[in-house]
Amino acid sequence: MVNVATARPTRADYYKVLAENLPPQALVVTSLGNASYLWAKVHDAPENFYFEDAMGLALPLSLGLAIAQPKRPVIVVEGDGGLLMHMGALVTVGAVNPANLTVLVVQNGVHAASGGQALTNASLDLAQLARAAGIASTENIDQPLALADKLRGRAARNGAECLVLATEPDLDVVRPPASFDPLLSKHRLQGAIGAPRYVHAVFGGGKLEGA
Amino acid sequence: MSGVLAAQGDAHRPSDVLSTLKRLGFGAVVSVPDGWLGKILVRIEHEPSMRLVRATHEEEALAIACGLRLGGVRTALLVQNAGVLSMGAGMVSLAQRYQFPLLMLVSYRGTPDDPVFYHVPKGRVTEPVFRGVGLSYACVDRHRPIGPQVEHAATFAEEASSPFALLLSREDIQW
Repeated sequence: MVNVATARPTRADYYKVLAENLPPQALVVTSLGNASYLWAKVHDAPENFYFEDAMGLALPLSLGLAIAQPKRPVIVVEGDGGLLMHMGALVTVGAVNPANLTVLVVQNGVHAASGGQALTNASLDLAQLARAAGIASTENIDQPLALADKLRGRAARNGAECLVLATEPDLDVVRPPASFDPLLSKHRLQGAIGAPRYVHAVFGGGKLEGA
Repeated sequence: MSGVLAAQGDAHRPSDVLSTLKRLGFGAVVSVPDGWLGKILVRIEHEPSMRLVRATHEEEALAIACGLRLGGVRTALLVQNAGVLSMGAGMVSLAQRYQFPLLMLVSYRGTPDDPVFYHVPKGRVTEPVFRGVGLSYACVDRHRPIGPQVEHAATFAEEASSPFALLLSREDIQW
C-alpha cells in the first residue's frame, strides 16, 4: 500500500518538471479536468491532445496513438480514478507494450474533476498493479525530481513505462488560456505530425493519402 | 445457402470483408471478439499490412481506434452489438465529439435467425440504441456482395467524420 495521507507534491510541481524535460517530438495526451486545463496553461502545443470528458479513455487512446506513431514518444497523463474506471486498458497496454508509451498516473485518491469525491480505493499500489498487468518498467514516485530523473534518463526500453505520481488533490478548477475546441485539438495534432488525410473519390471510396 | 448466394459463385463473404479492408488501406483493427468474429481475427493477425489489437472492453477498443486514427492509421472496430451497447459514453464524448471516422463491423446477435436465445435481449434494442446515441448504421443485405457494402460504410464514416456501424449476420463474418 502507498501512503497517500502525507503531504504530496502538486500536479503543478510535476507539470513543471514534465514541461522542462519533455522529450523531443513527444506527443502528450491529458485526461479530463485539471489534467488538461493545467497542461494547456503550462505548455500549450500542437503536439498536445486534450480530453474534455470521456473519463478513463485517455490511456487507451494514447495506446492507439503510440502504435500509430512508433517513432515519437507518447506521454499520457491519466488520473487514478480514470485508471480504475478502465483498468482493462492497463492490461492491453501491458500486452501490446509499446516502448514509446509513458503512462503518468496522477494518484491523488479522489475524483478531482468532479469535486473531490473519494475513490473506491485511494491507496492501491498502482505501480504494482501496472507490473502485474505486464508493464515491466513501473514505479511509485513522490518527488518531482524523481520524475525529472526518469524523463532525462531515457535509456532504451523494451516496453511501456508507468510512473505513478503521488499528488495532492487539486479541486479548484484551473482556467485554461482558451476554451477547448475538440476539433482544433485533433486537427492541430494531426497537422503537427503530418498525419495522412482522407482524399475522397467522386464515386466510390477514397483512401488516406500523403503526409 | 440461399439460391441467390449460390448464383454469386458461392462467394466467401468473410474473405471479401478482409480483402476489402486491405484494399481500402485499413492498417489496424481493434476488437473484442465473439463467436462469429474469432476466426477472422486470426486471419487479420496474420496479415502483414494490418495490426490487430485485442482490447478488454469495447469502449476501450473504441478509444484505441480513435488514437490510431488520430495518429494517421485507418482503423476498423470489430465487435459484437453488445459491445456497442456498452460504449455509449465514449461514442458520444470521444468518437463523435472529436469526429473520428471509424468503420465499425458489428456482429448482429439476437435477431430472429440467431439460434443462441440469450442474445435476443441485445438484438431487440440494438437499432433503437444506435439511433438514440446518434450512431449511423446499416444492416448488410445478404443478397448482395459484401465487399461494396463494407466500402460504402467506410466511405460514409469518412464523409460524415464519424463512426459508422455495419450490422453483420453470421454468414457475413464467421470464417
